[in-house]
This record gives sequence, C-alpha cells and structure tokens, in this order.
Amino acid sequence: MLYGYAGKILKVNLTTKDIGMIDTAKYEEFGGGVGMGAAIFWDLAVVPGDWDLQDAFDPRNVISLMSGPLAGTGVPGGGRTSVCAIAPETFPAPLFHRTSFGGRFAMMLKFAGWDGVVIHGKADSPVWINIINDKVTIEDGKHLWGLDTFEAQDEITSAVSGRTRFGQQWQQIGEDYTTARPQIVCIGPVGESMTRVASLIHGSGVAARTGGFGGVFGSKNLKAVSVIGTGGIEVADPAGIVDTRLWHTRNFPRITYASPGTGSCMPCINNDRKRNSYYGGESMCAEEYWYMGKQEPGQMMGGDRSVLMRGADIAVRWGICTWATKFGGAITLPMPNAPAAFKGMVPMEPGMGWYIKYLYEIGELGPGKKIESHPLPMDQWDTLKFREIFCDAIARRVGIGEDLAEGFLEAVNKWGRLEEDMNAGTLRLPAWGASWHHSLPEVCWAYSYIFMSGDPVWHGFFGLSGGGGFGGPATYTAEELVETMTKKVVPFDDDPLIFSNSWKGKDAFKTGIYSPHKAKMLAWARRYAGFYNEAMSICEMLLPSFISSGPKGIAGPSPELEYRYYKAVTGSNETFADTIETGRKIWNMERAIRVMAGRHRDQEKFAPFMHMPGATFPIGGSKPVYVNGKWSFEDQNDLYLDREGVEQFKTHFYRLEGWDVDSGWPTRKTLEELGMKKVADVLASKERLGA
Amino acid sequence: MTESKKFEDEKRIDRRQFLVGGGAALAAGALAAGVPGTAKAASPQSNARKASYPKSEAYLVYDSRLCLGCQSCMFACSLTHEGVANPSLSRIQIIRDAPSFTKYPYDVVIAVCRQCVSPLCVQVCPTGACFIDEANGNIRRIDQSKCVGCQRCIQSCPQKPHRTIWDSVKLKSTKCDLCEGAPFWNEKGGPEGKQACVETCPVHALKLVKKAPNQRDIDGYDVNLAPPPRKITFPGMGAPEPAAKKGGE
Repeated sequence: MLYGYAGKILKVNLTTKDIGMIDTAKYEEFGGGVGMGAAIFWDLAVVPGDWDLQDAFDPRNVISLMSGPLAGTGVPGGGRTSVCAIAPETFPAPLFHRTSFGGRFAMMLKFAGWDGVVIHGKADSPVWINIINDKVTIEDGKHLWGLDTFEAQDEITSAVSGRTRFGQQWQQIGEDYTTARPQIVCIGPVGESMTRVASLIHGSGVAARTGGFGGVFGSKNLKAVSVIGTGGIEVADPAGIVDTRLWHTRNFPRITYASPGTGSCMPCINNDRKRNSYYGGESMCAEEYWYMGKQEPGQMMGGDRSVLMRGADIAVRWGICTWATKFGGAITLPMPNAPAAFKGMVPMEPGMGWYIKYLYEIGELGPGKKIESHPLPMDQWDTLKFREIFCDAIARRVGIGEDLAEGFLEAVNKWGRLEEDMNAGTLRLPAWGASWHHSLPEVCWAYSYIFMSGDPVWHGFFGLSGGGGFGGPATYTAEELVETMTKKVVPFDDDPLIFSNSWKGKDAFKTGIYSPHKAKMLAWARRYAGFYNEAMSICEMLLPSFISSGPKGIAGPSPELEYRYYKAVTGSNETFADTIETGRKIWNMERAIRVMAGRHRDQEKFAPFMHMPGATFPIGGSKPVYVNGKWSFEDQNDLYLDREGVEQFKTHFYRLEGWDVDSGWPTRKTLEELGMKKVADVLASKERLGA
Repeated sequence: MTESKKFEDEKRIDRRQFLVGGGAALAAGALAAGVPGTAKAASPQSNARKASYPKSEAYLVYDSRLCLGCQSCMFACSLTHEGVANPSLSRIQIIRDAPSFTKYPYDVVIAVCRQCVSPLCVQVCPTGACFIDEANGNIRRIDQSKCVGCQRCIQSCPQKPHRTIWDSVKLKSTKCDLCEGAPFWNEKGGPEGKQACVETCPVHALKLVKKAPNQRDIDGYDVNLAPPPRKITFPGMGAPEPAAKKGGE
C-alpha cells in the first residue's frame, strides 16, 4: 500500500452496535475521500440490492466521513473530510451527493489510526461515537440531544479530555501524549429533528453544508463523532513535502485568497482567526453572509463585521444549512434584464430566506395570509432575532417551520407556487433544488449542477477571465491565458478550444459552450476535482491555482504543485495523467450510484431561469472566446443557455465519457476499461447498463 | 516478536533499570546537584554547578495574534526531524482551543522552546544527554544516544506545557534544536541558518532573533511581527476590508 494511509477504516453499525474495520487497501484504487466513500457506499448500500436508495433517512443509508492520504501530513489544505451518502436536501428526490468540510477532523482520524468512519443503521436512542486511538465506543448521547453545537462539543471535550487544562498540559492517552483537543463533528437541533436543511458542524464554524447531511445524523440518532489520536503518518518523502511547500510559497506569493499554508485545512478565505468578535470567524462565506442586515445596492457586505459573525454563530449553533436557507448572499447587483420579481436588483444567492421575504412583500405570506408565517416575525426579517426564530421554528417544526424543514422547493411545492415561480425565473436554483453559488457564465460550473446533484462547489475554472470577477483586471491577453491553460489540462492538452466560451450563433455549437470541445473541459474538471479535491481532499479554494500574478509569468503552480505533494506523501509512481484517470474512475463510480438510484438523461435539466435573459449573475467577468480565428475576452454578463444547445452538449459529454447517449448510463466497455467489471455486472442485473 | 517491538522492550528495560538501579541514585544525585552539561564539558559525574551558562545565540519568537493556528510549523518540525507527520513529536506545539471556544486571542497557545538562559533541562539531565552545543551557537539540545528516558528534563521544564518532548516510541526525550540536527531539512539549520517552522509559516508569525528575550514572562517571546496592514480591494465590489488593528486580527 502507498504511504499516507492509516490503513484501516472504521465501520459502525448503529442498529446492532457492531464496531468493525475495513482494510483501506481494499479501496486504495479509489484514492481516498469521496472516491473511497462512494465505493464503500456501492458495496454496502447498493450491492445488497434490498434498498431503492430513495430515502435519505432510511437506516440503510451509509454515510462516510473520509480522509485522503494527504490529510495530516503537512500538505496545505489537504485535510478536508469528505462526506457522501444519499442526501435529504436535493429536490425533487434525495440524490447521492458528496460534500466536505475543513478543520482538523480528518487529520485527527489519521492520527488515531483511521482513514475514515463509515456509519450505517440507526441507534434506538441518541448516541455519540467516541474514538480514542484504537478504542471506539458508542456512548449514550441523551444528555446531548437538544444542545446546540457549541454546547455539545464542549460537553464531549470535557468527557474526553477530562481535567486536562487547555494550553498548559499534555494529555496522556495510554503511553502517548498530545496537546490537542478531540475533534468533533456534530449536529444541532435542526439536524436532530430530521429536517432537510441541516449541516454537519465541526468546531466553531466549519460545516459540511450542501446535501443536508445533518438530517442524516439526526435520522440515525447520532449526535456527534469525536476523535482524538496520538499517532503519526508515515510518508514517502518527508523532505519532499517541505521542499514542495517552500517551492510554492517562494515562487507564487499569495496568488489566491487562501494563504498557501496550513497544515490542516485552514485558513479559509477569511482566515480562521479573524475571530476578534464572535466565534463565527472560522466560518466560510456561506455562514458569514447568511445574515446580511441592511445593505446598499452593489455593496459587498460592508458595515459591522461583528454582526455578520453573530449571524454566523446562530447558524452554526443551530446547525442549519446556510446553503439551503440562503437569504441573499454576499452581494446584490443591478440586473435590468432579470425576471420581474427582482425589480432589477438581484441578490447573488436568493434562497429560502430571500423567497419568504419576497412572498411577504407581494402579500402571499404573512400573518393571516394565504401562507401563514407564524411564528416568523416577518416585519423583523433583517434582524438577528429573526434568524434565531427562523432556526427555532424549523428545528421544532412549528408553524411555517414545518414546511421549511422539508426543504426549500418542497415548501414552495406545498404552497402551490413551484411551477409558476420556476417558470417566471423567480426561483434561481439551477438544478436539483440546489441554490445558486457561482454558475454562468462559467458553464462548466453550470453543467456540473445537472450532471451531479447540484452545486459542485468547485472554483477551479472560475477565475479564468479577463477581469471583472474577484480577480480584478486581467494582466494578460486571452491568447496568453488559453495557451497557458491548455498545457495544464492533460490529457486534453492538444485542444485549446475547450476554453472558448462562445455562446452565440454557430460558434457556440462549433467551438463554444455547446461543442464537443467544451465537453472535454467539463470532463477534465470532474476528473481533476474527483481526484485532487474529492479523493485527495485538498481544499478547492486553495488548489487548483492555475493563474499567477507573480513576476514569473501568468502560469500558476497547478497542477504541478498538487501532483508533487501527492508523490511526496504516497511515493506513487503514477504519472499526472494516471491521477486524472483515477478521477475518471471515481466520477464513474458516482455515476453508477446515481444511475442505480434512477438517474436518466431526461432528468438532467436546468431550471427555466437558466434559459432566460438574466441567468448570469454578473460577477463572473469576461470569458475567452475564439471568433474568426482569434482569441479575445468577451463580456458575458448577458449569457443564458439555449435548450437545444444544452441537449447537444449532453450528447457530446455522454459520448466523451463513454456513456449511452440516450440514457446517460455508463456502458460495460467504459466500466471494464476502468477496472469496474463488478459495477457493470450490478448495473446489468438491474437493467441500468448503457447500450 | 518484531524487531521494532524488541527494540522498544529493550529500551523500556534500559529505562527501568536506570530508574530502579544505579541510575536512580545517579539521577537523584544529579537532580540534587543540578549537573550542568555542555558539548565539551558535559559530565554526569560532575557535581560542579555552573553559576551561569553560555547564552544561546538565537531564539525563536512568535506573534500569538498573527498566528493562524494552522499547525504548519508542527508538521514541518516533525517531518524534518522525525521523517513522519506526527504533531505529538513536534518540538513546537500550537494548541488550538477549538472546539472549546476560548475567545481570540486566547484561543491559541504557542509553545516554543525558549532556549532558556538558565536551562533547567540541561541542569537536571543526569547523563549529559541534554547539553549546550557550544559548537553550534550554544543551542540547548538533546543527544538521544545518551538519553535514558528518565524524563527529568520534562519534569523540570518551567513552561506549561513543557517544551521538552517525550517520544513514546523511542522512550526518549527530545527538544527544539533550531533545526541544527534535522535530518530531513534540506537547508542549513542552527542559529546562522533557517528553521523549518519559520520558513513554512504562511503568515510569518515566527522569527529567529539573536538577542535573548526577557526571561521573566511570555511577553519577551510573544512579540509583534505583523506586517503593515494590507488593503484588499474587490474591483467593482465596494469598500476594502478594514485595516487590521493589530497583528492578524
């Protein structure tokens, strides 16, 4: 087995209280993280064949918290914990989904001797899982049920670390010592009541947001998983890891928001020690901008930062998913061509929180109205107090909280407004009920929404623009950008047209966003992300980092940097192309699960607003286009998708991936080429194999 | 029995024999007498107590407000010294209070070896394993080949948590050597060289200084290393972030 792994995966059946072990080597071919998590899900949840994969709250749902080999080895950002299972949050039905969270949980798992934790079954009363090196116990959690996430973690920390004084003492565990605290992932009251809008919370602000996996913990009567370990990780080339790190920092000074540092997966873009007010300083933008208060048009969350942090603390304490319940996001911009509901001013992330205010303003929702708003004080919508009541109502399923607990679009559907507001473009959720994050004009991000299970949360290609986005004005030409990027996307490094974002006329179909070239760009994104971000669990906000503003040209350190880390940690002899191929294997594993759950080409469609003027939120900047034999940057803030074009793109993409173009199902040839014959056999047995 | 297990057991016996046999008397005497040690003159048999020790020619200082708590330095330390990623073996400890929620800036404790002007760890070592390396800028170091695992250096360290580190596999102590003896560090270490922790810190919250900091409290080591505030602007997206008040706030 390669270096970097702990060697075993913990398997806990909460129904039988059985605590078992899986040999990591059995799944090494899938790298780690989501790769291993998906493969284990396949073996434990799909292969037995007794479950239709439709109910996320079924005890047979298998949720995995997986590390990758880079976690806990000093690779910056390499310590994320990948989570996958059937997710309750997606609409119109639960889907197989993957997400991840930062912090120190994954690396502590490794130090305790585990590459991951796989949990299935359902406890008959609240419990938490206590991992102290090799010793694993299922503890009574009744006293924790009802506590918020801060309180629960404090209780567990006291139970595990006893009287060890923070910052003053080493804690003895067996023959070993550590100054660390147990690392805990848990749920708040919103997860306990099996809502579809609950996150997994770790520490004071880190969250696994998309998917609503907090509800899965709740359905299993699982309050928390705690781990503390005192071991270490053997690596192939310790000096190589440090040298690679120095190569990065010395040659590419601060080229992304995230500092090129950190041994775990911090800091995030905000740095996790900007906590000079409240605890929310560890939070990502999703929590930080969940509470907005009043804002001026066009202004990014200015004002009193400490108030934003207090809002984040509310979300984190309750364990509500800030992704599923977005109130508007970081910024509101003028968009004259947007659907009527927005009156020309569109918030970046108009989710559940924004929508109930919209209904209130048009007189559809409120006290005594068609949609009764009790107990929400709608006239105090922009206050912190409202956020508290909002969480409480959902957690206790009181009044309108009962509807909202079942998810955004489920509530809209129940209120009888789904078709109307979808078709009007009022509901800006690109696909599968997943809220807007970034998307158009970055079409790979948009396409990922439909082929996956919503928001891919992958910024890799987001910054490839000619300015106007987060990165400011470009210091390079479109031709230079494309030339630089093309060299990086092995094995598609012979086709610069994959970066053309032409979206109008014949060019869109021939060389642009509906072309076979663009299909390669999406395929590379999913393969790269599948291996480096989802299996190696590197923070996607840190890497890839393709473009540099440094003095040595525009080429950023990716993908050489992450490949060097991978080699130094594991000692693998694989080429970079091999790692991308493993990413393809993981992508197909995920695809097979989704197909077994019912995925078909016909379902992979965008919400109507993506095909309407105003689909693009105008911070993506200008994109490179190839027109009349020349590269240039084009402002694409007016981009929207052509329905026929998307259908043609789907055909190109399925064909490139080796999937049946009519159904979107993987073929036996494709799966066997990837060494997945057994997967093909199972699909064939259920008549889900592509022709 | 595996070789490594056999090795571990032998070392345990060494330590036990030392503590219950002649070593115990030696250690007790050493502790009472406060035996000093240097590279040239270390002698566990010596009863001469030095009035003072040659000062280290370099000290690691830090900025606890600037530190992100990312523990990069810990990984760099264990990787370059031990060849494994193991925070418990790191000679620098960054202790994060998450998830116990102490407020900034008390949520992170930075525990670096102070290269004490009056090093108790050197004084109490009964075998001369903990010594002053006069050939390399008077760094206070531990020669593990001489360490018998009595842990007196750990017990005597006046800092909390103690800065001498216990290696539970080798059953020996270790401590910061300013990378003078780091076998997996491809750069020159020591007082005149570079330290892995300093070089890998993403926010430059660690620094090597030549002058001995104030020894009486932590303030001498916890210094302001913050660069001038850097304004970050988002073109077309409003006001820049407010300037930092102090350090990395």
